[in-house]
Amino acid sequence: MSGTPILRVEGLSKAFRGLKAISDVTFNVVSGSITSIIGPNGAGKSTLFNLVTGYLAPTAGRVSFKDRLITGMPTNRIAELGVARAFQIARPFRDLSVAENVRIGALFGKAGARDVEAMTRHALELAAMTELADQPASALTVGQLRHLEVARAIATRADLLLADEPCAGLNPTETAAMIDVLRRIRTSGVTVVLVEHDMPSVMEVSDRILVLESGRLIADGTPAEVSSNPQVIKAYLGTPD
Amino acid sequence: MNAKLGPAAFLAIILACAVVLAILPFVMPPFYVRVGQLMLYSAGLAIAWAILGGFAGYASFGHAAFIGVGAFAAGLVEDRFPGLPTPLLLPLGLLAGGAACAVLSAVVAYPILRLRGTFFAIAMLGVCKVCAELNNNVDFFQGSLGLNFPAIAPPDWDPAIFYYQLYLVAGVAVLLIAWQIRRSRFGAGLLSIREDEDTARMLGVPTERYKRQAFVISAVLTGLLGVIYAHSLGYITTDSVYRDDTNLSLIVYSLLGGMGTLFGPVIGAFMLVFVTQVILARLLDFHLFATGLLLVVLVLTAPGGIIGLVRGFRQRRRAKNVAPAE
Repeated sequence: MSGTPILRVEGLSKAFRGLKAISDVTFNVVSGSITSIIGPNGAGKSTLFNLVTGYLAPTAGRVSFKDRLITGMPTNRIAELGVARAFQIARPFRDLSVAENVRIGALFGKAGARDVEAMTRHALELAAMTELADQPASALTVGQLRHLEVARAIATRADLLLADEPCAGLNPTETAAMIDVLRRIRTSGVTVVLVEHDMPSVMEVSDRILVLESGRLIADGTPAEVSSNPQVIKAYLGTPD
Repeated sequence: MNAKLGPAAFLAIILACAVVLAILPFVMPPFYVRVGQLMLYSAGLAIAWAILGGFAGYASFGHAAFIGVGAFAAGLVEDRFPGLPTPLLLPLGLLAGGAACAVLSAVVAYPILRLRGTFFAIAMLGVCKVCAELNNNVDFFQGSLGLNFPAIAPPDWDPAIFYYQLYLVAGVAVLLIAWQIRRSRFGAGLLSIREDEDTARMLGVPTERYKRQAFVISAVLTGLLGVIYAHSLGYITTDSVYRDDTNLSLIVYSLLGGMGTLFGPVIGAFMLVFVTQVILARLLDFHLFATGLLLVVLVLTAPGGIIGLVRGFRQRRRAKNVAPAE
Protein backbone atom coordinates (compact mmCIF):
# COMPACT_ATOMS: atom_id res chain seq x y z
CA MET A 1 0.00 0.00 0.00
CA SER A 2 1.37 3.41 -0.89
CA GLY A 3 0.95 6.86 0.69
CA THR A 4 2.93 8.93 3.12
CA PRO A 5 3.83 7.11 6.33
CA ILE A 6 2.80 8.94 9.53
CA LEU A 7 4.54 6.42 11.77
CA ARG A 8 7.79 4.59 11.03
CA VAL A 9 9.04 1.77 13.21
CA GLU A 10 12.55 0.61 12.37
CA GLY A 11 14.34 -2.39 13.84
CA LEU A 12 12.50 -2.03 17.13
CA SER A 13 13.45 -4.49 19.88
CA LYS A 14 12.58 -4.75 23.53
CA ALA A 15 13.93 -7.33 25.94
CA PHE A 16 12.76 -7.77 29.52
CA ARG A 17 15.84 -9.37 31.05
CA GLY A 18 16.15 -12.57 28.98
CA LEU A 19 12.73 -12.40 27.35
CA LYS A 20 12.61 -10.81 23.92
CA ALA A 21 9.14 -9.24 23.84
CA ILE A 22 9.73 -7.46 20.53
CA SER A 23 12.51 -8.46 18.12
CA ASP A 24 13.58 -6.35 15.21
CA VAL A 25 10.14 -5.14 14.15
CA THR A 26 9.97 -2.79 11.16
CA PHE A 27 6.85 -1.33 9.57
CA ASN A 28 5.24 1.91 8.41
CA VAL A 29 1.74 3.16 9.06
CA VAL A 30 0.24 5.06 6.16
CA SER A 31 -1.48 8.34 6.93
CA GLY A 32 -5.27 8.08 6.90
CA SER A 33 -5.40 4.28 7.11
CA ILE A 34 -6.67 1.77 9.61
CA THR A 35 -3.87 -0.64 10.35
CA SER A 36 -4.49 -3.63 12.59
CA ILE A 37 -1.94 -5.54 14.58
CA ILE A 38 -2.99 -9.09 15.34
CA GLY A 39 -1.28 -11.99 17.00
CA PRO A 40 -1.75 -14.53 19.79
CA ASN A 41 -1.69 -13.47 23.45
CA GLY A 42 1.81 -12.54 24.51
CA ALA A 43 2.91 -11.79 20.95
CA GLY A 44 4.03 -8.31 22.03
CA LYS A 45 1.18 -6.12 20.77
CA SER A 46 0.73 -4.11 23.94
CA THR A 47 4.50 -3.83 24.40
CA LEU A 48 4.68 -2.36 20.91
CA PHE A 49 2.13 0.33 21.91
CA ASN A 50 4.07 0.99 25.12
CA LEU A 51 7.22 1.54 23.06
CA VAL A 52 5.53 3.89 20.58
CA THR A 53 3.93 6.02 23.34
CA GLY A 54 7.12 6.24 25.38
CA TYR A 55 5.96 4.24 28.40
CA LEU A 56 8.85 1.88 27.76
CA ALA A 57 12.27 2.59 26.28
CA PRO A 58 13.27 0.20 23.50
CA THR A 59 16.41 -1.93 23.76
CA ALA A 60 17.18 -1.13 20.13
CA GLY A 61 15.61 0.54 17.13
CA ARG A 62 13.77 3.77 16.46
CA VAL A 63 10.28 5.13 16.14
CA SER A 64 9.49 8.28 14.17
CA PHE A 65 6.20 10.10 14.00
CA LYS A 66 5.66 12.59 11.17
CA ASP A 67 9.37 12.28 10.31
CA ARG A 68 10.38 13.15 13.84
CA LEU A 69 12.32 10.74 16.01
CA ILE A 70 10.23 10.09 19.14
CA THR A 71 12.21 7.27 20.75
CA GLY A 72 13.26 8.36 24.21
CA MET A 73 10.79 11.25 24.41
CA PRO A 74 8.60 11.45 27.52
CA THR A 75 5.02 10.26 27.04
CA ASN A 76 3.48 13.71 27.41
CA ARG A 77 5.77 15.15 24.71
CA ILE A 78 4.74 12.40 22.30
CA ALA A 79 1.11 13.25 23.09
CA GLU A 80 1.85 16.91 22.32
CA LEU A 81 3.01 15.87 18.86
CA GLY A 82 -0.32 14.15 18.18
CA VAL A 83 -0.26 10.53 19.33
CA ALA A 84 -3.14 9.31 21.51
CA ARG A 85 -3.91 5.96 23.00
CA ALA A 86 -7.05 4.22 24.20
CA PHE A 87 -6.26 1.62 26.81
CA GLN A 88 -7.52 -1.94 26.67
CA ILE A 89 -8.48 -1.82 30.33
CA ALA A 90 -10.33 1.50 30.45
CA ARG A 91 -8.73 4.03 32.77
CA PRO A 92 -11.30 6.79 33.17
CA PHE A 93 -10.95 9.58 35.73
CA ARG A 94 -13.59 7.96 37.95
CA ASP A 95 -14.54 10.98 40.02
CA LEU A 96 -15.31 13.06 36.92
CA SER A 97 -18.24 13.04 34.52
CA VAL A 98 -17.95 11.75 30.96
CA ALA A 99 -17.75 15.29 29.56
CA GLU A 100 -15.13 16.33 32.15
CA ASN A 101 -13.03 13.30 31.22
CA VAL A 102 -13.14 14.22 27.56
CA ARG A 103 -12.50 17.87 28.36
CA ILE A 104 -9.16 16.98 30.00
CA GLY A 105 -8.16 15.43 26.68
CA ALA A 106 -9.26 18.59 24.86
CA LEU A 107 -7.41 20.88 27.29
CA PHE A 108 -4.14 19.03 26.75
CA GLY A 109 -3.08 16.65 24.00
CA LYS A 110 -1.61 18.00 20.80
CA ALA A 111 0.11 21.38 21.14
CA GLY A 112 -1.41 24.40 19.41
CA ALA A 113 -4.54 26.55 19.47
CA ARG A 114 -7.86 24.87 20.12
CA ASP A 115 -11.48 25.41 21.03
CA VAL A 116 -11.81 23.22 24.10
CA GLU A 117 -15.61 23.16 24.30
CA ALA A 118 -16.09 22.51 20.58
CA MET A 119 -13.48 19.76 20.63
CA THR A 120 -15.14 18.13 23.63
CA ARG A 121 -18.52 18.15 21.85
CA HIS A 122 -16.97 16.85 18.63
CA ALA A 123 -15.20 13.98 20.39
CA LEU A 124 -18.31 13.00 22.37
CA GLU A 125 -20.33 12.98 19.17
CA LEU A 126 -17.76 10.98 17.21
CA ALA A 127 -17.66 8.32 19.92
CA ALA A 128 -21.48 8.32 20.26
CA MET A 129 -21.24 9.51 23.88
CA THR A 130 -23.20 12.78 23.72
CA GLU A 131 -26.18 11.41 25.64
CA LEU A 132 -23.97 10.15 28.44
CA ALA A 133 -22.02 13.42 28.78
CA ASP A 134 -23.26 14.24 32.29
CA GLN A 135 -22.98 10.72 33.69
CA PRO A 136 -20.22 10.07 36.21
CA ALA A 137 -17.54 7.90 34.60
CA SER A 138 -17.86 5.44 37.48
CA ALA A 139 -21.43 4.63 36.35
CA LEU A 140 -20.57 3.44 32.84
CA THR A 141 -20.69 -0.13 31.51
CA VAL A 142 -17.57 -1.79 30.08
CA GLY A 143 -18.70 -1.00 26.53
CA GLN A 144 -19.39 2.65 27.35
CA LEU A 145 -16.01 2.96 29.08
CA ARG A 146 -14.33 1.86 25.86
CA HIS A 147 -16.17 4.59 24.00
CA LEU A 148 -15.05 7.06 26.66
CA GLU A 149 -11.43 5.97 26.20
CA VAL A 150 -11.74 6.62 22.48
CA ALA A 151 -13.57 9.94 22.93
CA ARG A 152 -10.94 11.23 25.35
CA ALA A 153 -8.14 10.19 23.02
CA ILE A 154 -9.82 11.87 20.03
CA ALA A 155 -10.37 15.07 22.04
CA THR A 156 -6.58 15.47 22.23
CA ARG A 157 -6.77 16.32 18.48
CA ALA A 158 -4.39 13.47 17.81
CA ASP A 159 -3.37 12.56 14.27
CA LEU A 160 -2.67 8.99 15.27
CA LEU A 161 -4.91 6.91 17.52
CA LEU A 162 -3.54 3.72 19.03
CA ALA A 163 -6.54 1.64 20.11
CA ASP A 164 -5.64 -1.31 22.30
CA GLU A 165 -8.33 -4.01 21.90
CA PRO A 166 -11.28 -1.63 21.97
CA CYS A 167 -13.68 -4.53 21.29
CA ALA A 168 -12.36 -7.05 23.82
CA GLY A 169 -15.18 -8.40 25.96
CA LEU A 170 -17.90 -6.64 24.01
CA ASN A 171 -20.95 -8.40 22.58
CA PRO A 172 -21.52 -8.41 18.78
CA THR A 173 -23.78 -5.34 18.84
CA GLU A 174 -21.29 -3.36 20.93
CA THR A 175 -18.44 -4.55 18.72
CA ALA A 176 -20.25 -3.35 15.61
CA ALA A 177 -20.87 0.04 17.28
CA MET A 178 -17.19 0.38 18.18
CA ILE A 179 -16.05 -0.57 14.67
CA ASP A 180 -18.43 2.07 13.36
CA VAL A 181 -16.86 4.65 15.69
CA LEU A 182 -13.35 3.74 14.49
CA ARG A 183 -14.47 4.16 10.87
CA ARG A 184 -15.88 7.59 11.59
CA ILE A 185 -12.65 8.57 13.32
CA ARG A 186 -10.65 7.55 10.26
CA THR A 187 -13.05 9.49 8.02
CA SER A 188 -12.47 12.56 10.22
CA GLY A 189 -8.79 12.38 9.24
CA VAL A 190 -7.21 10.44 12.09
CA THR A 191 -4.94 7.49 11.34
CA VAL A 192 -5.88 4.45 13.42
CA VAL A 193 -3.70 1.61 14.61
CA LEU A 194 -5.78 -1.12 16.13
CA VAL A 195 -4.84 -4.12 18.23
CA GLU A 196 -7.72 -6.56 18.08
CA HIS A 197 -8.62 -10.20 18.53
CA ASP A 198 -12.01 -10.22 16.88
CA MET A 199 -11.00 -11.52 13.42
CA PRO A 200 -14.21 -10.76 11.47
CA SER A 201 -14.10 -7.09 12.58
CA VAL A 202 -10.40 -6.82 11.83
CA MET A 203 -10.83 -8.26 8.36
CA GLU A 204 -13.74 -5.96 7.68
CA VAL A 205 -12.34 -2.66 8.93
CA SER A 206 -8.59 -2.80 8.21
CA ASP A 207 -6.75 -1.46 5.19
CA ARG A 208 -3.73 -3.37 6.29
CA ILE A 209 -2.86 -6.05 8.81
CA LEU A 210 0.40 -6.77 10.61
CA VAL A 211 0.80 -10.14 12.25
CA LEU A 212 3.04 -10.51 15.30
CA GLU A 213 4.13 -13.79 16.74
CA SER A 214 6.51 -14.12 19.71
CA GLY A 215 7.66 -10.56 19.17
CA ARG A 216 8.40 -10.99 15.46
CA LEU A 217 6.53 -9.55 12.54
CA ILE A 218 5.58 -12.57 10.43
CA ALA A 219 3.22 -10.98 7.91
CA ASP A 220 2.27 -7.54 6.62
CA GLY A 221 -0.37 -6.97 3.95
CA THR A 222 -4.01 -6.46 3.02
CA PRO A 223 -6.62 -8.57 4.84
CA ALA A 224 -6.85 -10.88 1.83
CA GLU A 225 -3.08 -11.38 1.62
CA VAL A 226 -2.70 -11.98 5.31
CA SER A 227 -5.58 -14.42 5.64
CA SER A 228 -4.16 -16.59 2.86
CA ASN A 229 -0.59 -16.49 4.17
CA PRO A 230 0.30 -20.07 5.25
CA GLN A 231 2.60 -18.87 8.02
CA VAL A 232 -0.20 -16.77 9.53
CA ILE A 233 -2.70 -19.59 9.26
CA LYS A 234 -0.25 -21.88 11.05
CA ALA A 235 0.73 -19.44 13.79
CA TYR A 236 -2.47 -17.67 14.54
CA LEU A 237 -5.57 -18.94 12.85
CA GLY A 238 -4.63 -22.60 13.45
CA THR A 239 -4.48 -25.55 11.07
CA PRO A 240 -7.80 -27.22 10.34
CA ASP A 241 -6.71 -30.75 11.28
CA MET B 1 -22.79 23.58 42.16
CA ASN B 2 -20.18 26.32 42.55
CA ALA B 3 -19.61 26.05 38.83
CA LYS B 4 -22.96 27.69 38.16
CA LEU B 5 -21.87 30.78 40.03
CA GLY B 6 -20.10 33.26 37.74
CA PRO B 7 -16.61 34.39 38.71
CA ALA B 8 -17.80 37.92 39.45
CA ALA B 9 -20.52 36.66 41.80
CA PHE B 10 -18.05 34.33 43.49
CA LEU B 11 -15.59 37.15 44.02
CA ALA B 12 -18.32 39.42 45.40
CA ILE B 13 -19.45 36.78 47.91
CA ILE B 14 -15.90 36.09 49.08
CA LEU B 15 -15.14 39.79 49.52
CA ALA B 16 -18.44 40.37 51.36
CA CYS B 17 -17.64 37.53 53.74
CA ALA B 18 -14.15 38.97 54.23
CA VAL B 19 -15.55 42.42 55.14
CA VAL B 20 -17.91 40.88 57.70
CA LEU B 21 -15.07 38.82 59.18
CA ALA B 22 -12.85 41.92 59.29
CA ILE B 23 -15.39 43.83 61.39
CA LEU B 24 -16.18 40.96 63.77
CA PRO B 25 -13.15 41.32 66.12
CA PHE B 26 -14.31 44.81 67.16
CA VAL B 27 -17.39 43.28 68.77
CA MET B 28 -15.93 39.96 69.93
CA PRO B 29 -14.45 39.24 73.36
CA PRO B 30 -10.61 39.09 73.25
CA PHE B 31 -10.54 35.32 73.73
CA TYR B 32 -12.54 34.82 70.55
CA VAL B 33 -10.31 37.21 68.63
CA ARG B 34 -7.43 34.86 69.49
CA VAL B 35 -9.50 31.85 68.42
CA GLY B 36 -10.40 33.71 65.22
CA GLN B 37 -6.70 34.35 64.52
CA LEU B 38 -5.96 30.67 64.83
CA MET B 39 -8.94 29.73 62.65
CA LEU B 40 -7.91 32.09 59.85
CA TYR B 41 -4.24 31.09 60.05
CA SER B 42 -5.16 27.40 59.97
CA ALA B 43 -7.59 27.89 57.09
CA GLY B 44 -4.89 29.66 55.07
CA LEU B 45 -2.44 26.83 55.75
CA ALA B 46 -5.09 24.26 54.92
CA ILE B 47 -5.77 25.81 51.49
CA ALA B 48 -2.06 26.17 50.73
CA TRP B 49 -1.59 22.50 51.65
CA ALA B 50 -4.58 21.49 49.52
CA ILE B 51 -3.14 23.04 46.33
CA LEU B 52 -0.72 20.11 46.35
CA GLY B 53 -2.43 17.59 48.64
CA GLY B 54 -6.03 18.08 47.54
CA PHE B 55 -5.82 19.24 43.93
CA ALA B 56 -2.91 17.06 42.79
CA GLY B 57 -3.40 14.27 45.34
CA TYR B 58 0.10 14.54 46.79
CA ALA B 59 -0.69 14.58 50.51
CA SER B 60 2.29 15.98 52.41
CA PHE B 61 2.95 15.00 56.01
CA GLY B 62 5.71 17.54 56.46
CA HIS B 63 4.45 20.97 55.45
CA ALA B 64 5.53 22.40 58.82
CA ALA B 65 8.99 22.39 57.21
CA PHE B 66 7.94 25.42 55.17
CA ILE B 67 6.44 27.20 58.17
CA GLY B 68 9.77 26.75 59.95
CA VAL B 69 12.01 27.64 57.03
CA GLY B 70 9.87 30.66 56.15
CA ALA B 71 9.80 31.91 59.73
CA PHE B 72 13.53 31.51 60.38
CA ALA B 73 14.56 32.95 57.01
CA ALA B 74 12.41 36.01 57.71
CA GLY B 75 13.74 36.43 61.25
CA LEU B 76 17.40 36.06 60.27
CA VAL B 77 17.08 38.55 57.41
CA GLU B 78 15.11 41.08 59.45
CA ASP B 79 17.86 40.91 62.10
CA ARG B 80 20.38 42.13 59.53
CA PHE B 81 18.43 45.36 58.98
CA PRO B 82 17.84 46.78 62.46
CA GLY B 83 17.47 50.35 61.19
CA LEU B 84 14.65 49.62 58.77
CA PRO B 85 11.36 51.49 59.35
CA THR B 86 8.75 49.21 60.97
CA PRO B 87 6.27 49.12 58.05
CA LEU B 88 9.00 47.65 55.81
CA LEU B 89 9.95 44.80 58.17
CA LEU B 90 7.08 42.46 57.35
CA PRO B 91 7.39 42.84 53.56
CA LEU B 92 11.12 42.14 53.87
CA GLY B 93 10.43 39.07 56.01
CA LEU B 94 7.79 37.82 53.58
CA LEU B 95 10.22 38.24 50.71
CA ALA B 96 12.97 36.32 52.54
CA GLY B 97 10.67 33.58 53.83
CA GLY B 98 8.96 33.12 50.47
CA ALA B 99 12.27 32.99 48.61
CA ALA B 100 13.74 30.45 51.04
CA CYS B 101 10.69 28.18 50.68
CA ALA B 102 10.74 28.56 46.90
CA VAL B 103 14.37 27.47 46.72
CA LEU B 104 13.96 24.62 49.21
CA SER B 105 10.81 23.24 47.55
CA ALA B 106 12.21 23.55 44.03
CA VAL B 107 15.29 21.57 45.03
CA VAL B 108 13.46 18.96 47.10
CA ALA B 109 10.81 18.53 44.35
CA TYR B 110 13.12 16.67 41.99
CA PRO B 111 13.78 13.57 44.10
CA ILE B 112 10.67 13.61 46.24
CA LEU B 113 7.89 14.04 43.67
CA ARG B 114 8.92 10.76 42.06
CA LEU B 115 7.37 9.10 45.09
CA ARG B 116 3.65 8.51 45.21
CA GLY B 117 1.01 8.15 47.92
CA THR B 118 2.21 7.15 51.36
CA PHE B 119 5.84 7.19 50.26
CA PHE B 120 5.61 10.86 49.35
CA ALA B 121 3.84 11.69 52.62
CA ILE B 122 6.50 9.96 54.73
CA ALA B 123 9.37 11.43 52.71
CA MET B 124 7.94 14.90 53.41
CA LEU B 125 7.92 14.09 57.12
CA GLY B 126 11.61 13.27 56.65
CA VAL B 127 12.22 16.62 54.96
CA CYS B 128 10.51 18.35 57.89
CA LYS B 129 12.65 16.49 60.43
CA VAL B 130 15.88 17.19 58.56
CA CYS B 131 15.09 20.92 58.29
CA ALA B 132 14.16 21.06 61.98
CA GLU B 133 17.36 19.29 63.04
CA LEU B 134 19.58 21.50 60.89
CA ASN B 135 17.78 24.58 62.12
CA ASN B 136 18.25 23.46 65.71
CA ASN B 137 21.87 22.35 65.54
CA VAL B 138 23.57 24.76 63.15
CA ASP B 139 24.41 27.79 65.29
CA PHE B 140 23.95 30.23 62.45
CA PHE B 141 20.21 29.51 62.30
CA GLN B 142 19.74 30.14 66.05
CA GLY B 143 17.07 27.44 66.29
CA SER B 144 17.76 26.32 69.84
CA LEU B 145 18.61 29.79 71.08
CA GLY B 146 15.51 31.30 69.55
CA LEU B 147 14.82 34.35 67.43
CA ASN B 148 13.07 37.57 68.42
CA PHE B 149 10.72 39.27 66.02
CA PRO B 150 10.12 43.03 66.19
CA ALA B 151 6.63 44.28 67.00
CA ILE B 152 5.12 45.34 63.69
CA ALA B 153 1.57 46.30 64.69
CA PRO B 154 1.03 50.07 64.31
CA PRO B 155 0.86 51.77 67.74
CA ASP B 156 -2.84 52.70 67.52
CA TRP B 157 -3.87 49.20 66.40
CA ASP B 158 -4.67 46.48 68.93
CA PRO B 159 -2.06 43.77 68.07
CA ALA B 160 -4.62 40.96 68.49
CA ILE B 161 -6.94 42.60 65.97
CA PHE B 162 -4.00 43.53 63.71
CA TYR B 163 -2.87 39.90 63.40
CA TYR B 164 -6.45 38.71 63.04
CA GLN B 165 -6.91 41.02 60.07
CA LEU B 166 -3.50 40.17 58.64
CA TYR B 167 -4.39 36.47 58.70
CA LEU B 168 -7.71 37.32 57.10
CA VAL B 169 -6.08 39.19 54.22
CA ALA B 170 -3.54 36.38 53.76
CA GLY B 171 -6.22 33.70 53.95
CA VAL B 172 -8.42 35.43 51.36
CA ALA B 173 -5.40 35.88 49.08
CA VAL B 174 -4.52 32.17 49.35
CA LEU B 175 -8.16 31.23 48.73
CA LEU B 176 -8.35 33.39 45.60
CA ILE B 177 -5.09 31.93 44.29
CA ALA B 178 -6.38 28.39 44.87
CA TRP B 179 -9.68 29.33 43.20
CA GLN B 180 -7.91 30.68 40.11
CA ILE B 181 -5.72 27.56 39.93
CA ARG B 182 -8.80 25.38 40.18
CA ARG B 183 -10.47 27.19 37.25
CA SER B 184 -7.40 27.09 35.03
CA ARG B 185 -5.94 24.56 32.63
CA PHE B 186 -3.20 24.03 35.22
CA GLY B 187 -5.91 23.09 37.75
CA ALA B 188 -7.51 20.62 35.35
CA GLY B 189 -4.08 19.08 34.82
CA LEU B 190 -3.55 18.74 38.59
CA LEU B 191 -6.96 17.11 38.89
CA SER B 192 -6.07 14.57 36.20
CA ILE B 193 -2.79 13.84 38.01
CA ARG B 194 -4.75 13.12 41.18
CA GLU B 195 -7.15 10.85 39.32
CA ASP B 196 -4.61 8.84 37.31
CA GLU B 197 -1.14 10.18 36.73
CA ASP B 198 -0.15 7.73 33.97
CA THR B 199 -3.27 8.43 31.96
CA ALA B 200 -2.77 12.16 32.46
CA ARG B 201 0.70 11.92 30.97
CA MET B 202 -0.63 9.97 28.02
CA LEU B 203 -3.14 12.74 27.36
CA GLY B 204 -0.28 15.22 27.15
CA VAL B 205 -0.43 16.68 30.67
CA PRO B 206 3.14 17.76 31.59
CA THR B 207 2.80 15.90 34.87
CA GLU B 208 6.32 16.42 36.21
CA ARG B 209 6.31 20.17 35.61
CA TYR B 210 2.79 20.63 37.01
CA LYS B 211 3.60 18.69 40.16
CA ARG B 212 6.71 20.77 40.73
CA GLN B 213 4.81 24.01 40.20
CA ALA B 214 2.01 22.98 42.57
CA PHE B 215 4.60 21.95 45.14
CA VAL B 216 6.46 25.27 44.96
CA ILE B 217 3.26 27.36 45.09
CA SER B 218 2.01 25.36 48.07
CA ALA B 219 5.37 25.65 49.85
CA VAL B 220 5.75 29.40 49.29
CA LEU B 221 2.20 30.20 50.48
CA THR B 222 2.78 28.03 53.56
CA GLY B 223 6.08 29.81 54.20
CA LEU B 224 4.47 33.27 53.91
CA LEU B 225 1.87 32.30 56.51
CA GLY B 226 4.71 31.01 58.67
CA VAL B 227 6.37 34.44 58.52
CA ILE B 228 3.19 36.14 59.78
CA TYR B 229 2.81 33.46 62.46
CA ALA B 230 6.37 34.04 63.71
CA HIS B 231 5.70 37.79 64.02
CA SER B 232 2.51 37.15 65.95
CA LEU B 233 4.42 34.94 68.40
CA GLY B 234 7.22 37.51 68.81
CA TYR B 235 9.77 34.88 69.75
CA ILE B 236 10.30 31.47 68.12
CA THR B 237 12.48 28.41 68.61
CA THR B 238 12.67 25.34 66.38
CA ASP B 239 9.99 23.62 68.43
CA SER B 240 7.46 26.41 68.06
CA VAL B 241 7.38 26.34 64.23
CA TYR B 242 8.36 22.79 63.14
CA ARG B 243 5.40 21.21 64.86
CA ASP B 244 4.22 17.64 64.39
CA ASP B 245 0.67 18.56 65.32
CA THR B 246 0.66 21.04 62.41
CA ASN B 247 1.76 18.28 60.04
CA LEU B 248 -1.11 16.13 61.26
CA SER B 249 -3.72 18.91 61.39
CA LEU B 250 -3.15 19.96 57.78
CA ILE B 251 -4.25 16.52 56.59
CA VAL B 252 -7.17 16.41 59.00
CA TYR B 253 -8.49 19.81 57.83
CA SER B 254 -8.88 18.55 54.26
CA LEU B 255 -10.20 15.14 55.32
CA LEU B 256 -12.75 16.75 57.63
CA GLY B 257 -13.97 19.36 55.17
CA GLY B 258 -13.61 17.46 51.92
CA MET B 259 -10.41 16.37 50.20
CA GLY B 260 -9.72 18.02 46.86
CA THR B 261 -12.41 20.69 47.19
CA LEU B 262 -11.83 24.44 47.43
CA PHE B 263 -13.80 25.10 50.62
CA GLY B 264 -13.29 21.75 52.33
CA PRO B 265 -9.98 22.79 53.94
CA VAL B 266 -11.54 26.05 55.17
CA ILE B 267 -14.54 24.30 56.71
CA GLY B 268 -12.28 21.65 58.22
CA ALA B 269 -9.87 24.18 59.73
CA PHE B 270 -12.64 26.37 61.18
CA MET B 271 -14.40 23.39 62.72
CA LEU B 272 -11.35 21.64 64.12
CA VAL B 273 -9.88 24.82 65.63
CA PHE B 274 -13.24 25.70 67.15
CA VAL B 275 -13.67 22.25 68.65
CA THR B 276 -10.15 21.99 70.06
CA GLN B 277 -9.81 25.61 71.26
CA VAL B 278 -13.31 26.34 72.51
CA ILE B 279 -15.12 23.10 73.28
CA LEU B 280 -12.03 21.27 74.52
CA ALA B 281 -10.39 24.45 75.88
CA ARG B 282 -10.02 23.03 79.38
CA LEU B 283 -8.59 19.78 78.09
CA LEU B 284 -5.63 21.01 76.04
CA ASP B 285 -3.65 17.82 76.68
CA PHE B 286 -6.56 15.94 75.22
CA HIS B 287 -6.51 17.81 71.92
CA LEU B 288 -3.94 15.76 69.98
CA PHE B 289 -5.76 12.62 71.09
CA ALA B 290 -9.06 14.07 69.89
CA THR B 291 -7.52 15.03 66.51
CA GLY B 292 -6.18 11.50 66.04
CA LEU B 293 -9.48 9.92 67.00
CA LEU B 294 -11.38 12.20 64.65
CA LEU B 295 -9.01 11.24 61.82
CA VAL B 296 -9.69 7.52 62.30
CA VAL B 297 -13.46 8.01 62.52
CA LEU B 298 -13.48 10.22 59.41
CA VAL B 299 -11.47 7.88 57.23
CA LEU B 300 -13.76 5.00 58.18
CA THR B 301 -17.15 6.72 57.95
CA ALA B 302 -16.92 9.78 55.71
CA PRO B 303 -13.95 9.63 53.33
CA GLY B 304 -15.42 12.57 51.36
CA GLY B 305 -15.54 14.82 54.44
CA ILE B 306 -18.35 17.25 55.19
CA ILE B 307 -18.62 18.45 51.59
CA GLY B 308 -18.72 14.80 50.49
CA LEU B 309 -21.56 14.09 52.93
CA VAL B 310 -23.56 17.11 51.73
CA ARG B 311 -23.07 16.20 48.06
CA GLY B 312 -24.06 12.59 48.73
CA PHE B 313 -27.18 13.75 50.55
CA ARG B 314 -28.13 16.11 47.70
CA GLN B 315 -27.60 13.41 45.11
CA ARG B 316 -29.77 10.95 47.00
CA ARG B 317 -32.52 13.54 47.35
CA ARG B 318 -32.34 14.38 43.64
CA ALA B 319 -32.45 10.66 42.77
CA LYS B 320 -35.53 10.30 44.96
CA ASN B 321 -37.24 13.21 43.21
CA VAL B 322 -36.47 11.79 39.78
CA ALA B 323 -37.72 8.31 40.66
CA PRO B 324 -41.41 7.71 39.86
CA ALA B 325 -43.68 8.55 42.76
CA GLU B 326 -44.97 5.38 44.37
